[in-house]
Amino acid sequence: MTESTVKPDPTVTPPPVVVARGLTKTYDTGDNQVHALAGVDVEFHRGAFTAIMGPSGSGKSTLMHCLAGLDVATSGTVHLGRTQITGLRDAELTLLRRDRIGFIFQSFNLLPMLTAEQNILLPSQIARRGVDKQRFDHIIDVVGLRERLHHLPAKLSGGQQQRVAVARALLNAPEVVYADEPTGNLDSRSGAEVLAFLRDSARDLNQTIVMVTHDPVAASYADRVVFLRDGRLVDEVTEPTAELVSARLLKLEEA
Amino acid sequence: MLRTTLAGLRLHKSRYVTTVLAILLGVMFVSGTMVFADTLNANYEESVMGSATSVDAIAEPTMEEPEGPEPPEEPVPFTGEQLDEVRALPEVAEAGGILEDQTVLLDADGRAVGFVPPAAVALDGTSRLSADEGELPSNGDEIALATSTAEQTGFAVGDTVTVLDSEQDKREFTLTGLVEFGVDPTYSSRGAVIFDPATIREMTGAEGYGEIDVLAAEGHTPEEVADAVAAALGSGAEVQTGEEYGLELAENVGGQTEMLRVALLLFALIAMFVAGIVIYNTFAILIAQRQREMALLRCVGAKRGQVFRSVLAESMVVGLVASALGVLAGVGVGMAGARFGGPMMGVETSVSVVITPTAVLVGMAIGTVVTVFSALVPATRATRVAPLAALRTSATAAGLEKGTGWIRVVFGLLAFAVSAGLVALSRTMEMSPYLLFIVTGAALIAFVGVVVLGPLLVRGIVRLVGVPLRKVGVPSMLAVDNSTRSPRRAATAMIALTVGATLITGYSVISSSTEATMTRMLEEQFPVDYQITPQFSMEEPEESGSEGAEEAPAEGTEGTEAAAGQHEGAAASGENTEGEPAEGDAAGETGAGSAEQGGGAEEVSDAPEFPTVPDEVRVALESQPDLGQVFGQSSAFVGQDDGGGLPVYTYPGAEVGVDVTSDVVEGELTGFDPGEVVLAQSYADDAGVGIGDTFTISSENGEDLSLEVVAVVEDMQMLSGVTVTEEDFTRAFPGVDEAEMLFVRAAEGADPAEVRDAVYTAVEDHPTMQVGSAAEMKNQFTQMLDIAFYTIAAMLGLAIIIAVFGISNTMALSVLERTRESALLRALGLARGQLRRMLSVEAVLLCLIGAGIGIALGVLFGWAAGAAVLPNMIFAIPSVQIAVFIVIAVLAGLLASVLPARRAASTSITGALASE
Repeated sequence: MTESTVKPDPTVTPPPVVVARGLTKTYDTGDNQVHALAGVDVEFHRGAFTAIMGPSGSGKSTLMHCLAGLDVATSGTVHLGRTQITGLRDAELTLLRRDRIGFIFQSFNLLPMLTAEQNILLPSQIARRGVDKQRFDHIIDVVGLRERLHHLPAKLSGGQQQRVAVARALLNAPEVVYADEPTGNLDSRSGAEVLAFLRDSARDLNQTIVMVTHDPVAASYADRVVFLRDGRLVDEVTEPTAELVSARLLKLEEA
Repeated sequence: MLRTTLAGLRLHKSRYVTTVLAILLGVMFVSGTMVFADTLNANYEESVMGSATSVDAIAEPTMEEPEGPEPPEEPVPFTGEQLDEVRALPEVAEAGGILEDQTVLLDADGRAVGFVPPAAVALDGTSRLSADEGELPSNGDEIALATSTAEQTGFAVGDTVTVLDSEQDKREFTLTGLVEFGVDPTYSSRGAVIFDPATIREMTGAEGYGEIDVLAAEGHTPEEVADAVAAALGSGAEVQTGEEYGLELAENVGGQTEMLRVALLLFALIAMFVAGIVIYNTFAILIAQRQREMALLRCVGAKRGQVFRSVLAESMVVGLVASALGVLAGVGVGMAGARFGGPMMGVETSVSVVITPTAVLVGMAIGTVVTVFSALVPATRATRVAPLAALRTSATAAGLEKGTGWIRVVFGLLAFAVSAGLVALSRTMEMSPYLLFIVTGAALIAFVGVVVLGPLLVRGIVRLVGVPLRKVGVPSMLAVDNSTRSPRRAATAMIALTVGATLITGYSVISSSTEATMTRMLEEQFPVDYQITPQFSMEEPEESGSEGAEEAPAEGTEGTEAAAGQHEGAAASGENTEGEPAEGDAAGETGAGSAEQGGGAEEVSDAPEFPTVPDEVRVALESQPDLGQVFGQSSAFVGQDDGGGLPVYTYPGAEVGVDVTSDVVEGELTGFDPGEVVLAQSYADDAGVGIGDTFTISSENGEDLSLEVVAVVEDMQMLSGVTVTEEDFTRAFPGVDEAEMLFVRAAEGADPAEVRDAVYTAVEDHPTMQVGSAAEMKNQFTQMLDIAFYTIAAMLGLAIIIAVFGISNTMALSVLERTRESALLRALGLARGQLRRMLSVEAVLLCLIGAGIGIALGVLFGWAAGAAVLPNMIFAIPSVQIAVFIVIAVLAGLLASVLPARRAASTSITGALASE
């Protein structure tokens, strides 16, 4: 994994980290079938911070779950690097998540009985993997948790809890970090902190981040926004602003 | 409101499965016990009544009620003339008598059966007794046995049976039938041999009738017949109608069944208590989890009382359903118990199962009341939920409890201190049965302490054992953290297990300490390999010793029971004030009995009072090369002024202080010479003498024997009463020339099997000599203790199973609560196996803490209770059993976590993450 300090040349596209092809997901609800994903083709590049947006029920969470190997797609393929993760068995998926993917959820991100530091180190411990002390210190300082490392989650504010989750996701420099509404439960100031931190990580650490959100402001921190509706990719915006995203979203809802 | 409750129950019924099982098991135990005992009772009654009501009147000889300290006289049996008189009465159609005596029955090895010879019985004419199998003997070659005697000896109908006649000559009979005497106390312990009337007179010279059974003549009621017979027999007879007699017998028997019922119910209540703890925990957890539901109810207008009632109604429904199922299961268990357990207890179950309304109602009531009662506290807690809680989203911190309050800590420590104080107090006090109450009280207080400090204990112990566990891996690290996040919940679940573990460990400590103490007593104070005693006779030797004779069968007919009697005697008498050490061997008992009879008069009893071991036996034993040393014990009893007796012993052929010894209180045992005497402490105290003082024994020829006290020894050991040298003994009691007991020690290096052969060869010509072996006695005693232990462990096993259900339920509810957490862990890369392992470790940890605390309490209070009743107890920790408990605790934990872990591992990650 080479870290590039210069911004990648826009003309030379780096190889995609995550590639999904013809992804569908169908739920049987007894009488009829619900198509949560109806054929999605999408790819995410190294160091890119991508937001997935869409109205409620558009399938954005399902897409993320399938990309991350948390859920099994009905058809289609997902590649992480050279690994095709669709078709992997549960045990292999578990190892894949453990070693190559980071997660940030909206809530219930932290185990209540572990301190902030223990929460951050948990994936490494599960994997029995050594921790890069320098990287740990660097991340802790960046997210500003140095003083709070030995606190239980109950003693942390919502923003601090989310920052712990971010630090945990980034610590092992996974190939991709999936964030599911990471600011959904935060006030706007804390949300802005977390988002800025995610954006900086993508730029400075060349970290690939995929974020699901329904908040145009949150989406505006991303490099690229893809729009989902009824299980299909319908639009895409690069270098988004909140206004632009809102307008597109509004248009989607109306259509 | 009720509709909401029921709807809620239907929705959450899976959460109640284990709770229902816990209640069900407890109720099953209660109802099963009732059905079992009722059925057993009905069977007893039927068998007893059946035999008694087959005749119209039954006459038994009676004795005058004794006045003062005089022991009751033996009743005088009816004579043949009396029987003829009864037969001649116009009200009587037929009458028959039961001729009674005793006889020596030989087993297949040619040794006399029983410590006491069985009763010899003949049915002369009509009788309430009949053969249950085969035929009654009809001639001089036939014989019948009591069913119990046949079981004991292994004889079956058709076998050849040898009996000794009054001249001690062998005579062979063919066994033609078995008679079930049932629980008739006259025959149940000694057993009985049935001859035909002519043969019993020939064999034993029996003349007296122990009972006369009468059939009424046409037109006379049983009452009229009974009155007529009573008038004819006079004051020496008690006459009852068959029905009255049966009722009386049945009542006696009923007492035994009631004891069994009470004992079983005690265990059933322990099980219900544990079930109560489990129910409490389940409701407490459910209420905590349904806070928002309760709050919503309050939001839409439910009053506090309504919420309270709704929770109680819920518990009521659960309790009723579970109790109903429990009663059904109990009836089944009771049936199975009566079917398979009855025959083991010597009752043929002919009557169909008795299901009384009481059995059903008690089961239903106990189950429901315990359930509702256990739900009271959680229900109260439910009313405290603020309506606003409905709007609050559950935070990540949910489930983390506050720390333990200092009041709790103080109260808990106080309980421990009081308990420790009581135990210490019990150790300093003189031994008495009340000590057991103090120790029990201390145990209960300590248990309260454990309950109060439970959360703290769980946290502390987990922190301690967590140190190495954390290093094992992430699953165990997480398990350690998980187990302390709701310490109160964990503590309650664990305490349910502690109850059973404490009781089982406590009992096993007492059991193993008793065994160790017995073994030491046998080894130190019975330092011989074999003991030869004459068979105890039920005949009255010189009109004395009758009380002793009656005591003997009650105390035990076998060496084992004699040993048990010794232990119980030792346990019960404690500080001996009366001056009668509780000797275990029958000879000692007899001595005590007759010594009392000597009453008042300063006289020496005629000798020999009791059967002694013939000198030929001693000679035969001494001639065996495999036997090293043979020595005897002879005794005489001197009546005392105060009505007590003075047992004087000597041990010909033994060196006092070496071969026969006791723990010395003061003085020296070695170098014991003529003119000297050794006293057991209570006798020395009674006489007010010490070392160097003169102790006087009245001798046979009227001369007093003045001896110098050289040693005072502990009571209730080998040297009991007064011990003198052989020379002094012979001088004082020249009439006592044979030993009442012989002790045999094997030659150095002799093969045990050959020693055994040698002993039996020596007594071959004396079949009535009872051969006791220290090793066999110990084996039998150990076996008895083991049986008792396994029985009690099995009874407590149910309480433990219920506790495991409780732990499983707690785990399952916690897993439910932590669904999102589990999903998060899985998302972060925790494998399914690791998740399962995490829950297993948590459950095992809980079980181990519960069992550990129980074992600690059990060892402590088992020791205290044992020391309170066993003098000079040797404290023995049953390490093997404790190791087994620990293994069981681990297995129980694994078992308890199976279902919750499977459920946690199989939940879909995305589904769990999405659900809020």
